[in-house]
Amino acid sequence: MIEELEIILETTSKILQKHVNHSLRQNIDSKNTDILNLWNDIEKNGLPKISVKEKFGGYEIPFFSILPLIKIVNNHGTPLPLSETILSNYILSESDINPPNGIVTFATDTKNLKINKNMISGEILSVPYLNLTKNLLIVHELNNVKKAILIDKINGEIIHKKNFLAEPRYDIKIENLNIAEIRPIKNNIDFNFLGAILRSAQMIGAMEKVLDLSINYCSERKQFGRALSKFQAIQHQISEMAVELSASSASLSTITELGLGEKNSNDAAILKIRAGFAAGKIIAISHQVHGAIGFTKEYELSYFTKNLNSWRNDFGNESFWEEFLGKRFLEKNNKNLWEYLT
Amino acid sequence: MSKFNFPFMKETNELSNLRKEVREFITTGINNNEFTPSPDAWVFSADPSFSKKLGSKGWLGMSFPKEYGGHQRTALERYVVTEELLSSGAPVAAHWIADRQSGSQILRYGNEKQKSSIIPRITAGDCFFAIGMSEPDSGSDLASVKTKATKTKNGWKLEGRKIWSTGAHLAHYMIVLARTSPASEENRHEGLSQFLVDLSLPNVKITGIPDMTGQRHFNETLFDNVELSDDSLLGEEGKGWKQVVSELALERSGPERFLSHFTLLDSFINEFRNSLIHSGTKIVGKLISEIQILRRMSFSVASMLQNGESPETQAAFVKELGNKFEKMMIETLREFSNIVPLHEWPNQLQNMFEDATLRIPSNSLRGGTTEIMKGIIARQLGLR
Repeated sequence: MIEELEIILETTSKILQKHVNHSLRQNIDSKNTDILNLWNDIEKNGLPKISVKEKFGGYEIPFFSILPLIKIVNNHGTPLPLSETILSNYILSESDINPPNGIVTFATDTKNLKINKNMISGEILSVPYLNLTKNLLIVHELNNVKKAILIDKINGEIIHKKNFLAEPRYDIKIENLNIAEIRPIKNNIDFNFLGAILRSAQMIGAMEKVLDLSINYCSERKQFGRALSKFQAIQHQISEMAVELSASSASLSTITELGLGEKNSNDAAILKIRAGFAAGKIIAISHQVHGAIGFTKEYELSYFTKNLNSWRNDFGNESFWEEFLGKRFLEKNNKNLWEYLT
Repeated sequence: MSKFNFPFMKETNELSNLRKEVREFITTGINNNEFTPSPDAWVFSADPSFSKKLGSKGWLGMSFPKEYGGHQRTALERYVVTEELLSSGAPVAAHWIADRQSGSQILRYGNEKQKSSIIPRITAGDCFFAIGMSEPDSGSDLASVKTKATKTKNGWKLEGRKIWSTGAHLAHYMIVLARTSPASEENRHEGLSQFLVDLSLPNVKITGIPDMTGQRHFNETLFDNVELSDDSLLGEEGKGWKQVVSELALERSGPERFLSHFTLLDSFINEFRNSLIHSGTKIVGKLISEIQILRRMSFSVASMLQNGESPETQAAFVKELGNKFEKMMIETLREFSNIVPLHEWPNQLQNMFEDATLRIPSNSLRGGTTEIMKGIIARQLGLR
């Protein structure tokens, strides 16, 4: 499986290198043939169904093992919801629902959700790339059972379009839409945990790129007669980015290796806290060392930092998960801290 | 960035059992009043009889080869033992440097006589070391050391001074970095050598320097034309820089870089658990997340050491993050005094907190400053 994954990672890098550039990111539209061509190449290589069961036509590589792929996709700044599709399809497949072809996006959050027989109504919030697909996954808890709900003809009133992000996002109000499939999720998998892990892996991929951009820019840009990278003040700031990134990556590889079980669910919280905190630092430092050019739309840094800004707030920000960890330790047991940690 | 990987290592059942065994030993020690837990114990709290006990349990020189009295256990096993000792604030200062870096340094670079005469004593908890790097005029700029060793008929003559030598007044030996030939124009790192110096030799003068808490662990060590035997040279003449760099990797990456004040945090949480449930879940969660990542990274460095690698850069990452964490922890506790005023804290906890507040500036100085760590990282990033 490891060899198989290595090959997939290599192929993915090649596809993305071929298609993705900064002008593609400026025109994320279903009529843009370059976007369609990229998606076709992605789909032809089976990437959307990489963690889907074989019986549904997938590679059945566990979701946690493919986090390095999520990292690569976002390191390239791919302007398509491949990460969202991979997670959605994994959850559908684990719920014994055959995932549809094409892009599947998900609801990051919902409000006033009502399910009546096979119909669903409510507000579906912060949906990435809704302009590219009709397929939407909603995870919703009904009578203490978490259910995967697939809508394959999403339609409704757009109540808010977020214009300030790198990726398109929409809040949509739906009324009595047909549910294509609804089933309980196996093992009661918690979508919030998976979403937090997904966003963290995406952030780490993007942060690696931001660090590389900063190193390259500072090595080329000359002021006061020498490259910015020769100034100790700049070196130390960039080192700090690397420190933050290394802590986040170490935290991610814990999940890649262990997966997510009851025993180590704290690791998901720790990952989101660490990656979210690192993103804050890295956004600030990368813009500082880039100067005005980083603040332009034309230069690609902002594509990555905008994404970092939205991902660090999805599925619980640092405070949310800190509260979660703190409560869990203080309320649920009487162990000393050290006993608890070990 | 791939070169800064911290491969994941799982704590096996064997390691968890070892952890339990050490913990029971420590709990018994505390219950029998054999020692009082204290913060920063690996610097301040020396108890040779405790070190001797650890030696007899087989918990010193754990990874050293059996032929020199070691236990041939893994760096990961040693990691688990040190974590337990640090988190409980046990009095480990006497043997700490010998066990952490000097022993490994001798095993790696020393000759047969050095190994067979010293390693078994380190392992038994009978032989302590001090670090001989900094000098009055050489701190962060270590390659500028002026201490000089000159060849004589029978060996070497050592002349110079070392400073901030923690525990030198209790130590038997010091590994001294000295110049054996002038630096070349192109390379200042040439011409340095390491020496294994017996601190009981004539003309070695050790003077204490009280630190800002008023306690003594610092020393100035004067070598006033000390006659060294021929086999005092550790490793190769002129290769001292390379050797000292690998010694620093051992020095920087361990859990003492983030668990120095753990006993304070532990007592704090035990004391204020109920208030924290109401108004401190977030801060406790933040501290938990940081400690767990640091443990994960430091454990990973131990596995790299086990594989014979020399993870100098990874060690710098751990030290830098660990130092930041400890400062953040003290600040977090200070902020909490808005909820329960400091004067209402139990006396012992107040003392620990005030003590830690005084000591915390040293954590990003000892073992290499923040600025040096960032410089190491910047070099690896190709910026220097």
